Amino acid sequence: MGEHLENIRKFQADVQQCMKCGFCGYFCPIYREEREEKGLARGKGQLIRFALEGQQELSKGFYQAIDNCLLCKTCVQYCPAKTRIDHAVTAARADYAAEKGLPLSKRLVFRYVLPHRWLFGVALRLASWFQGVLPRGQGRFRHLPQFLTALGAGRAIPEIAPRFLRSILPERSTAASTPKYRVGFFAGCATEYIFPEIGAMIVEVLRNLDCEVVFDRRQGCCGAPVYLSGDFATGRQMARRNVETFAEYDYVVTGCATCSSGLSEYSTYLAENAAEKERFERFAAKIKDFNEFVIELLAADLGRLTLKPCFRGKTVTWHDPCHLVRHQNIQAQPRQILQALEGLRFVEMADADRCCGLGGSFSITHYDVSRKIADHKAEAIAACGADAVVTACPGCMIQLRDALSRHKPDVEVLHIGELFTIRSGLADKS
Amino acid sequence: MAYRQFTSQLASIVGKANVLATEEDRQVYSYDGTSTWTHKPDLVVFPTETEHVAAVLKLANENRIPVTPRGGGTNVSGGSVPIRGGIVLVMTKMNRILSIDGANLSARVQAGVVLMDLQAALARQRLFFPPDPQSFLGATLGGIIAENAGGPVCLKYGVTKQYLLGLQAVLPTGRIVNFGGSTVKNVVGYDLVSLVTGSEGTLAVVTEAVLRLLPLPPARKTIIALFDDLPKSGATVGRILDAGTIPAKIELLDNWVVRSINRITGLGLPEDAAAMLMFECDGKEEVVAHDSQKVIEVCQEVGATQVLVAQDAVQAQGYWKARSAGFAAVFGAAPTVLAEDVTVPRSRMPEFIQRVVAICAKAGLEVTVIGHAGDGNLHPSVLTDAKDPAHFQKAQRAVDEIIEAALEFGGVLSGEHGIGLEKQKFMRRTQDPIFIELMRKIKAIFDPNGILNPGKIWENGSGDACEA
Repeated sequence: MGEHLENIRKFQADVQQCMKCGFCGYFCPIYREEREEKGLARGKGQLIRFALEGQQELSKGFYQAIDNCLLCKTCVQYCPAKTRIDHAVTAARADYAAEKGLPLSKRLVFRYVLPHRWLFGVALRLASWFQGVLPRGQGRFRHLPQFLTALGAGRAIPEIAPRFLRSILPERSTAASTPKYRVGFFAGCATEYIFPEIGAMIVEVLRNLDCEVVFDRRQGCCGAPVYLSGDFATGRQMARRNVETFAEYDYVVTGCATCSSGLSEYSTYLAENAAEKERFERFAAKIKDFNEFVIELLAADLGRLTLKPCFRGKTVTWHDPCHLVRHQNIQAQPRQILQALEGLRFVEMADADRCCGLGGSFSITHYDVSRKIADHKAEAIAACGADAVVTACPGCMIQLRDALSRHKPDVEVLHIGELFTIRSGLADKS
Repeated sequence: MAYRQFTSQLASIVGKANVLATEEDRQVYSYDGTSTWTHKPDLVVFPTETEHVAAVLKLANENRIPVTPRGGGTNVSGGSVPIRGGIVLVMTKMNRILSIDGANLSARVQAGVVLMDLQAALARQRLFFPPDPQSFLGATLGGIIAENAGGPVCLKYGVTKQYLLGLQAVLPTGRIVNFGGSTVKNVVGYDLVSLVTGSEGTLAVVTEAVLRLLPLPPARKTIIALFDDLPKSGATVGRILDAGTIPAKIELLDNWVVRSINRITGLGLPEDAAAMLMFECDGKEEVVAHDSQKVIEVCQEVGATQVLVAQDAVQAQGYWKARSAGFAAVFGAAPTVLAEDVTVPRSRMPEFIQRVVAICAKAGLEVTVIGHAGDGNLHPSVLTDAKDPAHFQKAQRAVDEIIEAALEFGGVLSGEHGIGLEKQKFMRRTQDPIFIELMRKIKAIFDPNGILNPGKIWENGSGDACEA
């Protein structure tokens, strides 16, 4: 069939690894809703294998199948053969994009908007002027009227912030005279434009952990939404820019699970040669999720974590973002933080590590199934009796807010960085 | 593509969204859990109620369209591969648990319920459905019934047919039938529940089942014993049963598997162990304590080099996960794995394993043996590559010899996987012709036009199959 399968070939060991046992059916959130093999990890893997063997074209139907994946990695976690279906699917998307091109909407956003921070800002600011016409829901969320069904009818979407993070946060902040580390704060799109106040709170925490925190204005989007959708060329540009921007920092810390995993995975997909692969790997070693970094720095000194008074007496539960729990194996740290906060009660919900169903643009292109997956999450949150669900991924927050607005609107959705401040340590009495 | 003209009629039965016909939809219903068999269906149909199944079968019967029923597609016999094309009737959307009745120790389920989902629901009421095919994460009850599935706990609890009280099914002509009932005792006429059970979807499409349940054992314990030679491990199994102790599971793994478990899990098992036995005792606390003590004693008497006891549920789970990982490793070890399912009387198991090893050594083939030692059901797996004709032929010849050996030892061709396509050439060769003849006649009564899962078991399906 003469198609270019450059990326699929690169990951062919991952494709061949599947022994077709079908155990993924129990874990795949999409299959659990649809019960159709094409949506199952095994089905996607087999289609990719057939493509590799010349028995399946990179057709529109093929794209629909590989596009119908959250990359939540739940199948990978439980696969007895440890098949990396996320690798195979991402590679297949890249080969499809190179061969046939991604759908126009994705192409425009990936190529022109996300890589250009100023244009993204302008586009969102324009959008923010028009969002005033939407009916207001819980807090800073608005309900989409029927005419915007492309984004999901009746969906609660977040409001674009009145002021972006760039205009409320100074470029450099430090509390200590001799800071321990020079930390680059990576905001990420959602934090920068939708939840800027969370970004500011995270920086405040890092500052009080005796770090010099720099919100380097040269940073862009992490690139995950772009390259995981198959646009490796644009993703590579974004990766190079971020790697260059943060070359001089000890660590790059972000409060967005998708960003930290996206920044860490450049070497898997985007390196053009061995030298670049090594450069990307070195960069990945500097990436820290906010929870992970807080625990590493505080070590045995968790007593410095201080609950903000407005949360005193509340019961919270933790939602594991896929990009933390499975992509980065970060599961204990946020729980350690929540359990250390005096005045806060922590309860586990059932299946806390189950995907919320967002999957980035998946929730727009596949809103129906995304919503069903989110409903299970919302039910688990409602059942555990928490006043608030805490997480560390703005994407999950958007999805959880939408789902809870249907089930239990009074449950708050919080980023872990909003909950606490850091009491002065010995190094800094200010 | 054949049968396309029926798309709209089928859509009017099950709804438009439940009839699929794209190239990709046909591709993903062309395979099952085997590595050798594929054939694309023409149409994929998802019924959501029994009446849909009846209407689809009626239409198919009138128009002679082949129909292959399918559940989770986890079977390893080629049984759900639509070898004659036509319709794949996918039961996965009929997945409701209709009722769980603790007082009568029974449950009524639709055919598409996944076993693990059922077990989770039953566990909340301290109940369980004993048959435990290791595909429980994907296998549906309909498929489990069609294959009369077994698993490790069959040593103590038996197989699927012993846990079925009644079935609702649809005959290939479209007639909905109810066999059996909801009582444990029922001798009204021929036992058609048992006839349909294990018929591999060739006689009727099961739509609902009334299952017999047991109370969930409150305690369990896992014990691992390592041996420096195979016959010793075999003797151990016999001695334990002879001592009046029946563990729920006795699993046997050979050196190859022990080493790959080490590689995958870092469990650090002795790499020179020729065989490893894994036991699980279950029941009331005091019974488990007594039984596991007996198991440990016998293992030590027979000369196990090491006996490990799981200290808690987490560790036990780790051991069983390692066993699954070992099994997975077998399938990942070569492009094609010929996994057999022979079963020999358990007393002859050590002798048989030695024969398997000798056959493969002589042919210069790599072979691994995993099995349910408690019931003599073994899965010798020959590693090969179907794309290398010389090697593949050699492997197939070795498998022939392994099967001949099993029969010579008084065993059977398949313990729990079924015949499907995978074993039919042995079926015809090894069975009394009258057995095949009776099956042919039974099939003709149920399915006069031969539309339901054609080409399987005693039929010749391999003629136009794509053996990749």
